[in-house]
Amino acid sequence: MKKTKKDVMIKVDNVSMRFNLGIDKGFSLKQGFVNMLDPKKRKAQKEAKDKNEFWALKDVSFEVNRGEVIGFIGSNGAGKSTLLKVVAGVMKPTKGKVEAYGNICPMIELGAGFDSQLTARENIYLNGAVLGYPKELIEAKFQEIVDFSELHDFLDVPVQNFSSGMVARLAFSIATIVEPEILIVDEILAVGDMAFQKKSLNKMMSMIKGGTTVLYVSHSIDQVKSLCDKAVWLEHGVVQDAGDCEKICKKYEDFVNNR
Amino acid sequence: MKTFMNNIMYSLQKYKFLMSQLVSRDFKVKYKRSVLGIVWSLLYPVLTMAVMALVFTNMFKMSMPGVNYLVYLMSGLVLFNYFSEASNLAMSSVVGNFSLLNKVYIPKYIFPLSKCLFVGINFLLTLIPLYAIILLTGTGLNWYHLLLPFAFICLFLFTLGMGFILSTISVFLRDMFYIYGVVLTLWTYMTPIMYDFAMIPTQLQFIFKLNPLFWILYFVRDIIIYHQVPGINVWIYCLLFAFGFLFIGMFVFKKNQDKFIYYV
Repeated sequence: MKKTKKDVMIKVDNVSMRFNLGIDKGFSLKQGFVNMLDPKKRKAQKEAKDKNEFWALKDVSFEVNRGEVIGFIGSNGAGKSTLLKVVAGVMKPTKGKVEAYGNICPMIELGAGFDSQLTARENIYLNGAVLGYPKELIEAKFQEIVDFSELHDFLDVPVQNFSSGMVARLAFSIATIVEPEILIVDEILAVGDMAFQKKSLNKMMSMIKGGTTVLYVSHSIDQVKSLCDKAVWLEHGVVQDAGDCEKICKKYEDFVNNR
Repeated sequence: MKTFMNNIMYSLQKYKFLMSQLVSRDFKVKYKRSVLGIVWSLLYPVLTMAVMALVFTNMFKMSMPGVNYLVYLMSGLVLFNYFSEASNLAMSSVVGNFSLLNKVYIPKYIFPLSKCLFVGINFLLTLIPLYAIILLTGTGLNWYHLLLPFAFICLFLFTLGMGFILSTISVFLRDMFYIYGVVLTLWTYMTPIMYDFAMIPTQLQFIFKLNPLFWILYFVRDIIIYHQVPGINVWIYCLLFAFGFLFIGMFVFKKNQDKFIYYV
């Protein structure tokens, strides 16, 4: 692991992300041939393509130091989740560079790779492998996962027979057994029934406050205020402002109220 | 080149566990709730072969002088079935796992590779009925059988290369699933599985020789049926086609994999 001065954990450098909204939908061989023969249509199509271009992120740059908790705020579609996915390595930025020094636990969507036909026991191993846990870790923490999810009696039942709350409990328990150096959270996930919601909320809070570096997206300004040291305010893929959490949240609240 | 190889080795080591989990998932899901379970891996090829043997020996009166037709047919079928099933599954593996690719970082080559491995294990099981036929028909064994893994590895690498190419194309062009179905049917008849290659008119034979599976089959049958070591040219063709397709596939896949996510 490389370390730069000041102990930078994540470095996002001029990251831009482009999506083509109408990309493959309008494509057909016939259209392709017609366009090839008719320059006017070809031009029209190119313009349509440019119009369909959507920049989810534009020149976003920031650094995160070890142990910092950074909140991302902004309206729907501002590019917050895309940014988290880029940092997690799920997407590669169209332009710019992302560097992360440390193992990342992306809690963006839970239960990735669950197979509904397999039992809970089998899914713990499968989902763990998908999340990149080594076999030894899953074996060592197996009991802990089962205890936390409280699904002792259903270990050998196929997941398709579970209620959605039970699936969410299992997924949450698997995702949170690691102690990552970088935690990426898209909305605090409180899942299951009331008792489990409380338990999972506590677990998330203790993970966030436990000294790890956290990137945190939320629409709850209060939670951002109480958890984060710094905040980044995104709007239409552009960083509006970044810095001290209280200050940025205030600005964002003013912006929303005056709209 | 060396660091490239090192990277591949490191990545394979790191994702070994995930791969084994994906392969075992495929196995569990495939045989869940079937009464005979894994026995089907043995039974299925035997029954298909029995049907084909019945049709070709009794209805079309197919026979080859000096060669046991059953062994000829079975050896062709076992190898071709591996190719067709593995390439088909590998093709849909990337599209089929989009929901996963969209959520967590996993190297994308894992999906075609795990499918080729999964069908590969099935393939090894189908060797049991093949050898049963070889022994029962009195074709007999010889020491050259120890060379067969060479052909199997070439078949695996060629299929993996095809899997990379097909899975990449199918992300951008979903029509590929249908197109490839037709191509596979044509491929079945363009490969001497059920008929003797000598039946093909001489002026057309060169087309058949462009087929990598032709050479792999040639290699295997030289050993199993004719009890001889394949000529040096057969070895070379097998190697060239296997690594040629593997490298093309890896290149195409690597070049396009970052764009996959836009075509969900």
